[in-house]
Amino acid sequence: MIFSFPLVLWLIPLAFFPLFLTEGSTHFYSWNALVPKDNLSKIITIFLKCVATLILLAIIIGLSGPHSIQRKIEKTGIGAQIGLVLDRSASMDDSFASNDQTKTSNNQTKIGEMKSAAAARLISDFVRSRKNDMIGIVTFSNSAMYVLPLTDNKNAIISAVRATAGNALFQTNIGSGLTSGTELFKKVPDSGSRAIILLSDGGGRIDAATQEKIKDWFDRFKISLYWIVLRQPGGISIFNSFKLQDGEALPPQIELNEFFKTLNSPFKAYEAEDPKTLQKAIEDINQKEKKSIKYFEKIPGQDFSTHCFVTATILMLALLILKLIMVRSWL
Amino acid sequence: MVKPTPLFDYHIGWKSKGKRPGRHKSNQRGMGIEFAGHATLLSYPDPRRIDIRQTIKDPLGQIYVKIFNQRSTTPVIIICDLSSSMDFGGKNKKIFLATDIAQSIAHSVIDQRDALGLIGFDDEIREDCLAPISFRSQLVFTLIEELKSFILPNKSNRAIKELYRYMPRERSLIFFISDFHMPEVDLENCLANLMRHHVVPIVLWDKKEYKNLPNFGVVTITDPETGEKNTLFLRKELKEKIVASFERRREVITKTFMNFDVPPFFVDEHFDANKMTEYFNQFVGA
Repeated sequence: MIFSFPLVLWLIPLAFFPLFLTEGSTHFYSWNALVPKDNLSKIITIFLKCVATLILLAIIIGLSGPHSIQRKIEKTGIGAQIGLVLDRSASMDDSFASNDQTKTSNNQTKIGEMKSAAAARLISDFVRSRKNDMIGIVTFSNSAMYVLPLTDNKNAIISAVRATAGNALFQTNIGSGLTSGTELFKKVPDSGSRAIILLSDGGGRIDAATQEKIKDWFDRFKISLYWIVLRQPGGISIFNSFKLQDGEALPPQIELNEFFKTLNSPFKAYEAEDPKTLQKAIEDINQKEKKSIKYFEKIPGQDFSTHCFVTATILMLALLILKLIMVRSWL
Repeated sequence: MVKPTPLFDYHIGWKSKGKRPGRHKSNQRGMGIEFAGHATLLSYPDPRRIDIRQTIKDPLGQIYVKIFNQRSTTPVIIICDLSSSMDFGGKNKKIFLATDIAQSIAHSVIDQRDALGLIGFDDEIREDCLAPISFRSQLVFTLIEELKSFILPNKSNRAIKELYRYMPRERSLIFFISDFHMPEVDLENCLANLMRHHVVPIVLWDKKEYKNLPNFGVVTITDPETGEKNTLFLRKELKEKIVASFERRREVITKTFMNFDVPPFFVDEHFDANKMTEYFNQFVGA
């Protein structure tokens, strides 16, 4: 318990004045000794003085602004520190590539779910299924957008994930997304289980300098990488061997995959063509990232001045009620 | 319209030594109707009073006259308590009632052509409120008119011990106006010192002190004499206790007065002169 304005506390002795003051009274009686002793009256006398003192105390303490200190509690839980790096490029607004376009009973093609919407939905489920994870979110398109630091606040995470399901932006700049995603872990103590889930549709080229940087940081922060590729219809699969023709550069996905494989930290790639496979990929990650982690939860200090003022108000109301039954004059 | 001051009739239960003709029994020889005895004409040369029957009966042939006691005046003193407690009562203070009573006494005394004196006291005998016994009563009336201005705050009635020093030597009739809110010891001492006089205690109690207290509420009362403050939570129970306490007090002071054979005359709110007359008829042998 600390005070914002401790100097005000010097006024506390003033609060005890009512105890020493005699009651103000304009009612002169003839001989007080003739009035028999009455316990209830004595109690009320003391009560009145105490109430007055308490009111003053409450006001003075309230004015000094008492509040508890912000605390950090170390919590242990099962889970991981996960950085979600989500692709927000324009292509995410396309629908999934459905190889098995389901025919409904009235022979209509069911239009596939938007990729970003499906990702948001499945990630929300994923987040809900995890108990003690700390999750941070970074989205990227032309450049990275910092959304949420690593936190264990489920509501914040789910809201952030939902927000990413909106309209998409331009390009895909995976390098920037990954570096920003890595930065999430910079100021957080290592819990032993760190992962970045990169969710993108297709690849992007990363220049050599950024590649070095990513490699270095992933190694230093001991981050494992899960890459979920949302495959475009008829797109190139990263798992298929690809025959390189002369004078042709590797497709970005393949090149990226090759780069990720060179990382020192664990890496696993998933390819999702429809919500079901995406779900499978996420479930797989869910299984893998289950270790006990330690993390600190900040509990903000509580302000007690309102309590003081409310107490003072209630006591003053009590005094007012007593004032109402005060005898004004009977002479 | 000014209300006439109510008068009452009083008499004394002893023979006055006053020489001035008045209305009370006396042992002064003079033009009265109370037969006192015979004397020879030589020793009491008043031929108007020759008692022929006694003269004839006397074998020695002396001439006898009848001797009568005249009726005389008696000194009357009003003692008024000027302690702060007499200031109780808001609009109708006790001291106002005391003034009314003193008025009535003074007028009754003038009516009987007795000598009148007034003494006010609080913690000391108030020399400024002191009118020595006199047949010229103007001073007393002036003081009575201003009686209320003599009350000072925070004054008790300690001078009650000194009162007897200011009393006349001969037996007098003393009207003692007070609320008698004082320790019994003081009262007893005072009465013991005033034994040679005839004291009529007029006890002024105000119903507002006990019966007419509010039925419910919180009130802080100040003792005007000591300045002591008490907060009371008035309610039925406490009010009953207070009334009982006053009734007990009434019994106690009545007993104290009766030990000195001076029945108290209680006045509540209103002074009834007829009751005063009745009081004298009832308690004072003619």
